Amino acid sequence: MKEKNGNVLIIGAGVAGMEASLLLANSDKKVYLVERTSYIGGNVIKFEKVFSNMECATCMLAPKQQELLANENIELLTLAEVIDVKGSAGDFTVKVRKKARYVDLQNCIGCSACFEPCPVSVKNEFEEGLSERKAIYVPCPGALPNVPAIDTENCVRFKGKDCQLCKEACMFEAIDFDQKDEELKLKVGAIIVATGFSTFDSKKTPHLGYGKLADVYTAFEFERMFASNGPTEGEIKLRNGETPKSAVIIHCVGREEKGYCSGVCCMYSLKFTHYLKEKLPEIKIAEFYSDLCIPGKSYQKFYEKTKTMGPEIIRFNEIEVVRTNGQLTVNYKPDPLTPKPQTLNTDMVILAPAIEPDGNANKLAEVVGIPQDEYGFFAEGHPEIDSVATQKEGIFIAGCVQGPKDIQDSVAQSEAAVGKILSLR
Amino acid sequence: MPMEEKIGVYVCECGPNIADKVDIDKVVETISSLPSVNVVERHKLLCSEDGKKFLKESIQKNELTRIVVAACSPKQHEVTFMKVCESAGINPYFFQLTNIREQCAWIIDDKEEATERTIRYIRAAIRRVLYHKALEKKEIEANPDVLVIGGGIAGLSASLLLASGDRKVYLIEKTKVVGGKVREFAKLFPRMEPCSDIISQKIKEVENNKNIEVHTDSEVSEVLGFLGNFVAKVNTSENKAIEQPSKQAIKEKGLENKELELKVGAVVVATGFDMFDPKQLPQYGYGKYDNVYTALEFEKMNAEGKILLKSGKPPKQIAIIHCVGREKVGYCSRVCCMYSLKFANYIKSKLPNVKVSHLYTDLTVPGKTYQKFYEQTKEKDVEFIRAQDIEITESNGQLTINHKGTHNPKPLNADMVILSSAITPSSDAHKLAEMLNISQGDNGFFVEEHPKLAPVSTSMEGIFITGCAQGPKNISDSIVQAQAVAGKILSSIIPGKKLELEVKTSEISEALCIGCQTCLTVCSYGAIYFDEIKRVCVVNEVLCRGCGNCVGSCPSGAASSKHFTTTQLHQEVVEALR
Repeated sequence: MKEKNGNVLIIGAGVAGMEASLLLANSDKKVYLVERTSYIGGNVIKFEKVFSNMECATCMLAPKQQELLANENIELLTLAEVIDVKGSAGDFTVKVRKKARYVDLQNCIGCSACFEPCPVSVKNEFEEGLSERKAIYVPCPGALPNVPAIDTENCVRFKGKDCQLCKEACMFEAIDFDQKDEELKLKVGAIIVATGFSTFDSKKTPHLGYGKLADVYTAFEFERMFASNGPTEGEIKLRNGETPKSAVIIHCVGREEKGYCSGVCCMYSLKFTHYLKEKLPEIKIAEFYSDLCIPGKSYQKFYEKTKTMGPEIIRFNEIEVVRTNGQLTVNYKPDPLTPKPQTLNTDMVILAPAIEPDGNANKLAEVVGIPQDEYGFFAEGHPEIDSVATQKEGIFIAGCVQGPKDIQDSVAQSEAAVGKILSLR
Repeated sequence: MPMEEKIGVYVCECGPNIADKVDIDKVVETISSLPSVNVVERHKLLCSEDGKKFLKESIQKNELTRIVVAACSPKQHEVTFMKVCESAGINPYFFQLTNIREQCAWIIDDKEEATERTIRYIRAAIRRVLYHKALEKKEIEANPDVLVIGGGIAGLSASLLLASGDRKVYLIEKTKVVGGKVREFAKLFPRMEPCSDIISQKIKEVENNKNIEVHTDSEVSEVLGFLGNFVAKVNTSENKAIEQPSKQAIKEKGLENKELELKVGAVVVATGFDMFDPKQLPQYGYGKYDNVYTALEFEKMNAEGKILLKSGKPPKQIAIIHCVGREKVGYCSRVCCMYSLKFANYIKSKLPNVKVSHLYTDLTVPGKTYQKFYEQTKEKDVEFIRAQDIEITESNGQLTINHKGTHNPKPLNADMVILSSAITPSSDAHKLAEMLNISQGDNGFFVEEHPKLAPVSTSMEGIFITGCAQGPKNISDSIVQAQAVAGKILSSIIPGKKLELEVKTSEISEALCIGCQTCLTVCSYGAIYFDEIKRVCVVNEVLCRGCGNCVGSCPSGAASSKHFTTTQLHQEVVEALR
């Protein structure tokens, strides 16, 4: 019989992919960690703090990130995508397309001297477009690996101009325009898909005003606004630069459209009251929810604590956000129903959109050969008793790629996928 | 002060990062003039391949015994340079990295001031490194076998993944049979799949696995030791029977009490849950009125066949009350809404004409498929009432549910009431917590090592928690946690591989310790024990993670952290401030 290949491919370097990589690497497995972006840490590194212990998320992840980058059993492939998977459990052949970073990972020390001279300025997608970045960039200060990448879609050199200002600014000869995109062929015995999630596009609920009304923000926009390494360095301010005196947080955005409850939005919405009150103790807050979903042993306590900070917590049946006389107004029908609809004026609205499958999920599902469920999440081997397995032996799923969940449950799933892999003998 | 050391100091320019802001020439000149220093060198980028080679060769050529590198944050390159020291043949703990980039160059605008500060930092590091001691990596043998406490769905699932030719699993179950509470369930939400097939399949697999030793009617009475080397005592009646739910037969061998001694490397706590007792809330009338049932009672009634009133007649109106005990326990149990919906489905499939009403507070249906189950259930002509302040009364066998509902707060009549109680920690959780030295939260569930990043580990290395022992959850999540425990154990205790221990542990001086045991109370890792004969506290180096809690709390100065001794820190500070 053919010897089984012990190497493991992990797709996605978010909190789930990182945990799985570290466990497998510590058991002396060779791990290929393929990440589509230029950095590791996934969505969690966008958060300033995590509920319910309000721990700093970047500080929480930093030791894991450092450990991962230093681990010799883990080969991290950033700016990379899996484009083909052939074979079966114990013997997969995987093709990975790895885009050139144009900055040498060994030589670069992350001093950021190359940013300043770059003549290009575009919206920073990591910051939800709330700030600009250069064509050579790291998504935010503290991103790891602390090595910038050149965005060839915007870099003028890759549009034909003879610009090499960044190269001239680099003292370490780290910038290499001659790097080429590569296609790698990897041999692995097992695969974990941990590609995470996106959030529901709030523009699809036009009655909430997102995209039309200036101070209606999505949860991720607000996360970055609050982040100390974000576009405002943590200052909460309106588009006109003023400090808001009131804020409204709307839960369950897209729940009806998606047809499921994401299980985490109530909690992160309550976290936002903590954020607001920490920076602006006088701010008036209203949280609008439909069902308060705070499952588990410690979440209700967090809710009770949030209540003491003084937000109005209102159950709504119907809600809309409009602008009247230059002022944001929330019109709502509360539950229980009162004869008249109510209104509330506010300076700022934060929407808590549902979790949905990552934008590339369809493509990846096809490449890996795993069916998706009716919502687009990857389908489990058995939803109740084997939620990290798939219908394809040797391929596992962990974290929000399988369905919406919080960090704890994502980590548990990634450890579970490792358990399944290491028990195969 | 230790003497006769040959000290080398290496200043990294970090390209322009340090060189532009710090006058390196002056730093080198000043440090070179210190009598204790043998070699002072500068380098453009010490962490580069070229820089590391230069450092190694310089250490060897000059036969240095102590190394100071002035460069970036230890977070970035401490390990890098420790590795260089090791490859140059010098103990890596005879090295000190001082951070002149983040703590000088990047934060001080005035070049003169930054230079002066840099010199101070380097002097302090030189002083400190003279007091460093050589530390060595230690390894211990680890037993790969595992003790699993609790034979429910989580314990069974963990055992199946863990057991193999080179790893034995001892599965200890308190009751006569394995399978846990799930054995009582007819179906699983949300797909209403029969449960018995699933559980009997798992039980059969465990039974057939020759690497799993099941002990039913058994309880763990003592666990001593540490990661890789636990010794557990188990009281067992030596009844190796496994009940097949399909056959409903117990293979009895004669009960004889016996104490087993098991040697294992890890312990898994999978002791499941109990349900909140509705007798604590008399307003529900449980125990007083005939036809008020707990969820488990109803589950059993349904599984056994017919849904009937105590009178033997079929019910006409059934009320299912969610959130029973939620306020009292202080948390939402996550599964009650869903199992309540499942009950409506049980009822509607057996008695389609019965009126079913749910009285709930908030509908908790998290996850991708649960809301759909709610909607499908609603379509079966099931009523949902948001209700508060529920009180049940009875007259002539008719139950009346009074409530302050939000929409139609009319009293509701029913002839049967099902109380969906909260999930609570298993009644003997406190006993286990004490035995294993793991903590319980204020709600009684075992506390994980980290609420986000280490959900199945505990602060005691080698002891894991899984399933409802860790917190209320559904079957799917319990199995995931069981598999996660397997992932943690299989990746850390590998047959034939030794465990590498923390180097920078604490130590307690036998001569100075007064035996007050303050350190015992502050140690989160159970790494300190009291030696009754010598009347002193002793650090178990296998468990110590070097957090320093004991050092800070010790009133007699007996406890110290290796590599962070009071002398080392004091000398460093004194020199920095001189």
